[in-house]
Amino acid sequence: MLRLSGLGVVGAALAACVAPDGASSGDAGTAAQEPVGIIATTQMPVNTFDNSIERSLEQLPNIALEVNANGWGGGGWDGYSDTLLTRIAGGEQIDVIMIAIEGLGLLAAKNVLVPLDGFIQADPEAEEILMNDVHVTLREMLQVDGQQMEYPFSWNNMVMYYNTAVFEEVGLEPPANDWNWDDFLEACLAVARVTGGADDRFAYSFWGGGMFGMAAWYFNNDTSPLSEDWLESNVLDPKVLETLQFLADLILVHKVAPNPEGWDEWAQFHAGNLVMRTCGRWCIGGSLEADFTTYNIQYQPHQAGPIRTVAGTDGWGISTSSENPDEAWEVVKLLSGTDASLDMVQLGGNIPALRSVAEMPLFADYGPANTALFYETLDFAATVPSPPNFNAVEPILNRNYATIWNGEKSVEEAMQAAHDELVPEMAKLQG
Amino acid sequence: MATADLSAPGGFRRRFSIAHWGIAGREALAGYLFTAPALIGLLSFTALPIVASLVLIFLNYDLLTPPTWASGSNISRLFDDSRMLIIYRNTVQLVAGATFLNNVLGLLLAVGLNRSMPWILRYILRTSIFFPVLTTTASLAVVWRFLLTQDRGVVNFLLGQIGLDPVPWLSSSRWALISATIYDVWKSCGFLMVIYLAGLQGIPVVYYEAARIDGAGRLQQFRNVTLPLISPTAFFAVVISLIGAFQIFDNVWVLTSGGPGDASRTITMYIYEKAFRGFEMGYASAVSFTLFMVLICLTLGQFWVARRWVHYE
Repeated sequence: MLRLSGLGVVGAALAACVAPDGASSGDAGTAAQEPVGIIATTQMPVNTFDNSIERSLEQLPNIALEVNANGWGGGGWDGYSDTLLTRIAGGEQIDVIMIAIEGLGLLAAKNVLVPLDGFIQADPEAEEILMNDVHVTLREMLQVDGQQMEYPFSWNNMVMYYNTAVFEEVGLEPPANDWNWDDFLEACLAVARVTGGADDRFAYSFWGGGMFGMAAWYFNNDTSPLSEDWLESNVLDPKVLETLQFLADLILVHKVAPNPEGWDEWAQFHAGNLVMRTCGRWCIGGSLEADFTTYNIQYQPHQAGPIRTVAGTDGWGISTSSENPDEAWEVVKLLSGTDASLDMVQLGGNIPALRSVAEMPLFADYGPANTALFYETLDFAATVPSPPNFNAVEPILNRNYATIWNGEKSVEEAMQAAHDELVPEMAKLQG
Repeated sequence: MATADLSAPGGFRRRFSIAHWGIAGREALAGYLFTAPALIGLLSFTALPIVASLVLIFLNYDLLTPPTWASGSNISRLFDDSRMLIIYRNTVQLVAGATFLNNVLGLLLAVGLNRSMPWILRYILRTSIFFPVLTTTASLAVVWRFLLTQDRGVVNFLLGQIGLDPVPWLSSSRWALISATIYDVWKSCGFLMVIYLAGLQGIPVVYYEAARIDGAGRLQQFRNVTLPLISPTAFFAVVISLIGAFQIFDNVWVLTSGGPGDASRTITMYIYEKAFRGFEMGYASAVSFTLFMVLICLTLGQFWVARRWVHYE
């Protein structure tokens, strides 16, 4: 019996060896159709791309697309970049990377991104969109040494969100688009109700230290915490000190702003306990979720120099570790396209890089009355300071800002301490 | 002198056959086999990383590009790092406060719960005190962050109700470390309570009966019977809580992110930041090595001191 079984096995093996060509080629055909796995990672809520994954099944049948979230790592773009690099160093497969200008220099310096110029030149449609439907400022923000490292997807500037109901309640006119710091302070004093009780209402809350949030104030006072080439510390500039003193006074002297450390700006704004906040378009998402509608937006108040708004762009790029860069490029186009942009707009996310989408009526539908302001500012937008060592610079500034907001150090002392830390850090870029 | 003839038929096989090892040999083999998984794990995940870390001290390595020789620069940098001293000072304060309070409170709670009381009350109290241990540190720290926020935080609201000024729990250099200590004690003392409770329940009743016959009051019984007899338990509890306190990371990370400034930054946070935010693996390894030395010295010191106050029956 065993002998018979053995003969059967040998027979089956021989039969397999001499199987007709059609059968084996059919297997090979199945293997060839096996989709290529492409993994994209993003800082946005991953549900932003649920519809894109659905579309990929139809439009890119040879690709199995996965979009996963890359954590903020307890910080902003600095933490995001660190988490991303750690994942890549750990050998994790990441083919397509979303990164903003703040982390782009670091990733480029670490040779994590493939320049996209070759892909773009070989793809006239993508080149046409990039050249004609994306503002030059956004396009150039994602270039390093003249090479396009990311394909722009979305961007943000910082505007002042304000609670229209509270302004009405205290008899204040909506802020004008040329309001200055004095006007802003006047509005703060008018709307704040702070007694240390449960029904406190703060006039304004700002990011404690995020580069993007602080740049919105610095730029409107014609200064920046770094030199124009982002290679040197500029925190001892009198205008930087003036800006910080103005913000510190809101907390410590006028008592119209809370210490931003630990303060939940989102919840308090929607609860009516915070009247004004500086934020980008992504804050609309929270308001949509909370069904909060009594707000509008205005430019940041201005103090000195030309009117400027801070802007930062993000986009999709291809990882040098990707084994399938051609498929990754197809995914980059899918995730940067009109449909993906519309999905983001409807969730209250960033401003789309595609002008054609920003000009659609839908863009205005998902935002406050002044929504047009978002895209209008691009012509006088300045890029958020984003040196390649952004992940080191931002924490240095944050640590030292915190000692101003709690009143433990004067603005001068804190910035001297920051400067002392920044000088050796920035020197690494020059060496 | 007789010698084993390995060339004889069956000689080699007999020499290495387990059947001829004898009982001691077979027991030794079984012992090696049973401990092998643990030993392999220890070598792979503890010993090798320690060796790798020691090597990294002499390299500049950012995880993504090949390492370069750093000579002794990472070590000499330790002596110029003014932040590290501040951070070690914070760590020592946090470790001392958390270890002391965790052990004292754990012991007091255990003594309280070791007394006779209705079983349902004992059950509720034990569960309530132990419950924070079961929950995740980071998620609870998020809750505490909301409770302790200076403006509109629940704790300050309650303080306001009794006429007290708001306390900058998380935003002041003076209070941030205290807040982190309070949180750690709330989170961890239940675990030490259980350890002390087990120690207390292991003390034979006859000692207390003898002490009572000798006229000892409750305090004297505690000092002369309870404390000496739970000293091995206390030694264990102090060692593990001390090492645990040195490893505090996630709760401070969530509560204060180490701020304001560096006011509540601990040495483990600093190592993490240097390694995975600055990608300075060499320097992070050098700082880790200082912590390694501190922990070795402390543990050896504890064993030396323990000879004076730990009494084994």
